[in-house]
Amino acid sequence: MALFLRQSPLRTRLPAELLTACTICLNSRSFGVLNRPPPNYEGHVPLTRVERAGLAVGSAVMSWLNPRRGDLIAALGEATATPYFIYRLRDAMLASPTGRRILHDRPRISSKTLSMDYLRGLPANTVGRAYADWLDREGVSPDTRNSVKYIDDEECAYVMQRYRECHDFYHALTGLPVMVEGEVALKAFEFANTLLPMTGLSMFAVTRLKPAERQRFFTIYLPWAISNGLRSKDVINVYWEEQLERDVEELRNELCIEKPVDLRDIRKKDRARRKAEKEAKERSSDSLGIN
Amino acid sequence: MKPFFSTLRARQLNGYVCQTCTRQLRRKPQRRSYASTSSRTPEIFDVVCVGGGPAGLSLLAALRANPITSTLKIALIESQSLTPTRTFSPSPDSFSNRCSSLTPSSVRFLSDIGAWKFVRGERVQGYGQMRVWDGVSGAAVHFDAFGGAEKEKRDEGGVVAYMNENVNLTAALLRRVEELGGVEILDGERVEDITLGREAEEGDLSQWPVVKLSGGRELAARLLVGADGANSPVRGFAGIESTGWDYGRVGLVATLCMEGEGEAEGRVKTAYQRFLPTGPVACLPLPGKFSTLVWSTTPELAAKLKSLSPRDFVGMVNAAFRLGVVDLKYLHTLEGGQEEEAAWREDHVGFDGSKIPQRVVGVQDGSIASFPLKLRHADTYIGERVALVGDAAHTTHPLAGQGLNAGQGDVESLARTIEYAVAHGMDIGVRMSLEQYMAERYVKNHVLLGVVDKLHKLYSVESGPLVGLRSLGLGAVDALEPVKAFFMRQAAGTGKIL
Repeated sequence: MALFLRQSPLRTRLPAELLTACTICLNSRSFGVLNRPPPNYEGHVPLTRVERAGLAVGSAVMSWLNPRRGDLIAALGEATATPYFIYRLRDAMLASPTGRRILHDRPRISSKTLSMDYLRGLPANTVGRAYADWLDREGVSPDTRNSVKYIDDEECAYVMQRYRECHDFYHALTGLPVMVEGEVALKAFEFANTLLPMTGLSMFAVTRLKPAERQRFFTIYLPWAISNGLRSKDVINVYWEEQLERDVEELRNELCIEKPVDLRDIRKKDRARRKAEKEAKERSSDSLGIN
Repeated sequence: MKPFFSTLRARQLNGYVCQTCTRQLRRKPQRRSYASTSSRTPEIFDVVCVGGGPAGLSLLAALRANPITSTLKIALIESQSLTPTRTFSPSPDSFSNRCSSLTPSSVRFLSDIGAWKFVRGERVQGYGQMRVWDGVSGAAVHFDAFGGAEKEKRDEGGVVAYMNENVNLTAALLRRVEELGGVEILDGERVEDITLGREAEEGDLSQWPVVKLSGGRELAARLLVGADGANSPVRGFAGIESTGWDYGRVGLVATLCMEGEGEAEGRVKTAYQRFLPTGPVACLPLPGKFSTLVWSTTPELAAKLKSLSPRDFVGMVNAAFRLGVVDLKYLHTLEGGQEEEAAWREDHVGFDGSKIPQRVVGVQDGSIASFPLKLRHADTYIGERVALVGDAAHTTHPLAGQGLNAGQGDVESLARTIEYAVAHGMDIGVRMSLEQYMAERYVKNHVLLGVVDKLHKLYSVESGPLVGLRSLGLGAVDALEPVKAFFMRQAAGTGKIL
């Protein structure tokens, strides 16, 4: 039957060009849900375009509703990294000798590869100590990072993984805290620096901030993020494992990053100011009441 | 007053009336006036060809092989000695780095003039497929002489073009010229000066170019043919401007040894070309395991490549057909160790081994050389008693492999034009006789030069929307057989336009 179809007069009469054009269209729809190809690396989940788009939209909406869903933000990052963006980031790594070394060695950051005790024992001004202090202050661990699943190219998947694992180092370097306000500021910096769409999309979380926080973001942190992100060298090309014992200020200078105003300090002062105002108001109303 | 007038008239008649008649007309008044001004008289030739390259030699062979033009008195001037060409006896396991592709149309012409039989066939490699792809986007086009729409090609053995060493061709042409005889070959003689002759007893040579040679001889030419390359002295003499620009690129050539013979399923070999932003890199098959490399790149990168060890050079050539643009850029910055770095990257870069050249395993000692790439087109190919052919008339980027073939096209046309002039009793040197040559070749070459130039510029772009557009275009060419067949015919020299 198949043979008969193949030699049917209709088919032979169709111009070869038309058939070729159709084949090109068909080829772009590479697979369906039922015949998913084998994974390209461990943990890889090949997605069709429709699935990828669905994942992007779904994870974007859900993570906007709940910005603490790190897994959804990660999925959003992977779904929107292709085409172009993750390749651009990989090429940025390939263009730098250190970046190439990272791609060659493929180091992973976790509590297994980095001993927290060793980091805590480093001098106060070092990168490693800043990282450890930041982890302790924010109460997070380097093991909370998901594995990359939805990026098809195995090397690009590593680039995404590396970006994700280094994210905490960016926090340590800039001193920005994990609360939504700090995250948004850091994501803006990352967007200017890595151009990953997820980091840009994350800035929509600014709509969830309180008016005072939002004003602070637009007046202080966004200008800082854009200017520093564009000016500084690609932070993805820092071999953090080799920088642990370096002076953190020196590294910031080398990367051309200036430390932003400490967000936690501002918030504390702001809180104190508001409290004082409130107390003053109460006092004045009390005194009014007496009189 | 009267004698002067008659001289003037005779001079004006010069172009239209046969030489002996004008000489008769002039004889009386001149006898007296020029009696004392005798320097040495130049020898008079019908055709003096300056330049013994492929274009010059094939013109002589064509003129001598044709019974109509074989009566012409011909001289060849070549600044270098032709003895090495004459005694060309190559070893079967080494190839010259200067190779050119000859289209079936050029081969047909060379057969017609009886030179192709002297070309050492065992050193010529035909190829039936071309794979061309974009180094930035990976968009590719595959030309196959056995492809559906090219049925006529099968009769020619499914060959798009033949790769041949330039010296193999010039040696064959020289043998043919010497077999036919009748050409005065003045090799190892530099052209000292080209001037207009003067009026003398024997005739008025004041409109004739006279070539003074370093050996002291002087040759007056009824038609002076400039086949003397890009810096043509003949063109300079004729005052013909050559316009164009330098590409700021050099063509790096080398003879490569591949891991295999590259003949898949017993079919003819494949030529490969990848467009990188610095310029195209091409690997063209030679007999056996050999291939010739033509890598257009910037002078700095070419100098870098030349300074590498053979092992790293081979690594770079393999990388040039396999790795991404970013990787290549980085590899160019290394002082050494390209091979290891490239080997690591190859594991992470997806490429289809069946669509790229086989792995290069070695480079022939001393075969790496480079030459600057230029676009030049003479404003005209003809002047009074002057015609330009080959590189003297036009030079082009080697990406289409058409330089030598355009020269052969010129020669074929010029030989036909001279034949017509001789058959119709015209003076072969005057502009009117040569006009046909100019009309046949100028626009064709101009289109070729323009297309090649635009291709170079189009593929120099590294990023942006142009990359997408050109990839789309290349994909469309690959999908549409008639368009592909059209390009194939142009490349093979059997098309109507070029």
